[in-house]
Amino acid sequence: MSAVKRFFDRILLLDLFAGLGLTFKHLFREKVTVQYPEERWEPSNRFRGMFRLDADRCIKCTLCARDCPIDIIYIDWHQEANPETGKKEKVLDRFDIDVQRCMFCGLCEEACPTEPKSIWLTTKTYELATYDRWQNLYVDKHQLADWRVRPAYTDEEIR
Amino acid sequence: MPAFLAAIRDAHPLLFDYALSPALKILVLLFAGILPAIAYLTLAERKILGYMQSRVGPNRVGPWGLLQPIADVAKLLVKEDVIPEQSVRWAFILAPCLVVGPALVIFAVIPIGPPAASPTGLNLFIADVNVALLYVIAVATIGVYGLILGGWASNSKFSLMGGLRSAAQMISYEVPQGLALVGPLILAGTLSLVGIVEAQRDAKVWYLFPQFIAFFIYVVSGVAESNRNPFDLPEAESELVAGFHTEYSGMRWALFFLGEYANMIVISAMATTLFLGGWLRPFPSVAWLHFLDFPFLPAGLVGVFWFVAKLTVFLFAYIWFRGTFPRYRFDQLMDLGWKWLIPLALLNLFFTGLVKLLVKG
Repeated sequence: MSAVKRFFDRILLLDLFAGLGLTFKHLFREKVTVQYPEERWEPSNRFRGMFRLDADRCIKCTLCARDCPIDIIYIDWHQEANPETGKKEKVLDRFDIDVQRCMFCGLCEEACPTEPKSIWLTTKTYELATYDRWQNLYVDKHQLADWRVRPAYTDEEIR
Repeated sequence: MPAFLAAIRDAHPLLFDYALSPALKILVLLFAGILPAIAYLTLAERKILGYMQSRVGPNRVGPWGLLQPIADVAKLLVKEDVIPEQSVRWAFILAPCLVVGPALVIFAVIPIGPPAASPTGLNLFIADVNVALLYVIAVATIGVYGLILGGWASNSKFSLMGGLRSAAQMISYEVPQGLALVGPLILAGTLSLVGIVEAQRDAKVWYLFPQFIAFFIYVVSGVAESNRNPFDLPEAESELVAGFHTEYSGMRWALFFLGEYANMIVISAMATTLFLGGWLRPFPSVAWLHFLDFPFLPAGLVGVFWFVAKLTVFLFAYIWFRGTFPRYRFDQLMDLGWKWLIPLALLNLFFTGLVKLLVKG
């Protein structure tokens, strides 16, 4: 039976016609293209995008910088007496991330001991293309507080 | 027909029949028919391929990308035309012309409508040559020389391999293609393409049905002749960069593509004429389908409509094949040509001749 079937498959080129049928079916399928500047893709909730830093929650432990596998997080701090309470507190001088080399592994977020995390990547942002990487992909704590200091490109800029 | 043309026809019938009328038809066919058809065939190809791959294809230039071919042509015309220093200059320049020229010249004998039926009383073909089929086979083969010449003149290893592959490909598809064309020829008893269509009308059947094997062989070898997937061996982007036209750029490169698409249209038109009854409506013998002749329209227009409709089916099939089949290796193509298509074509020829003899005698 199978030999007969194989013979007819070979003579009538059934497999070729099956392939043609498949592509013909795809002709009417829903298209997956996202018309980018007009419509934008919404990433899933666990998508690792650009960083966000909450400097108030941060306890300056530098665990994120130590856990970073390629050492691109630079943190400087000093101790200073709080003028209201008189207690000594750590004050953040510098919190820079060199995003050019970042691989968005999210280990810094995992290392952060505060609850909720002080640094996180689930900001659903992915429009990181820039014209000047040193200006736009080397971010300090102010930019990290709201990375949209350099916002996504507007429609006018893209055209 | 405009009055001044009629006046010329009456005053100088020879001049009109042998110079003016063909020249006018060529101009109209070329600039209103073939060149726009080729331009929009590229768009159709990109759109259909895109849809088959769940994409949408070009849609930025004009509505549904309808102005894309115009943008492409404008770009290709102003691009730098590089001729490599190591190339053989005259052959490098000649090769693209050798591909386009023959492909366009074939349209001279293809009937796109019935004789003496256009609104102006002209024949809807440029010439009704009594050896038209031979002419088509002879001229179509010249195009391959363009490929081989271009591959050799570029002085690049990829180009040379592409050109040689096209030579290897040619000897394997030309023979079965020629043999396949003999089938309808035996049935019709004439080499004139107009005569073949009229024979199909008189026989009350498209030659597709008695000659389905020849039709299959013709389509397969036609795909090979126009260097389209799955037989695009001379080009073979993934192995030979771009094969014979690796070194070409700008408008010379575009000429190769013009030739390829013109060849697609020629082969589809030939298949339409020989196997699908040219300008005839579907099932010309079934009386109740008479409404398909659109009696309220002039007969010539209806003929052209059916011709173009059948042509479109073939062109869609070409693009469909490209969206479906992976490329053959060239030994597989030669295997297919020599071991399967030629014996099949010979068998078909034998039985066609036998039946014809028995029916006649």
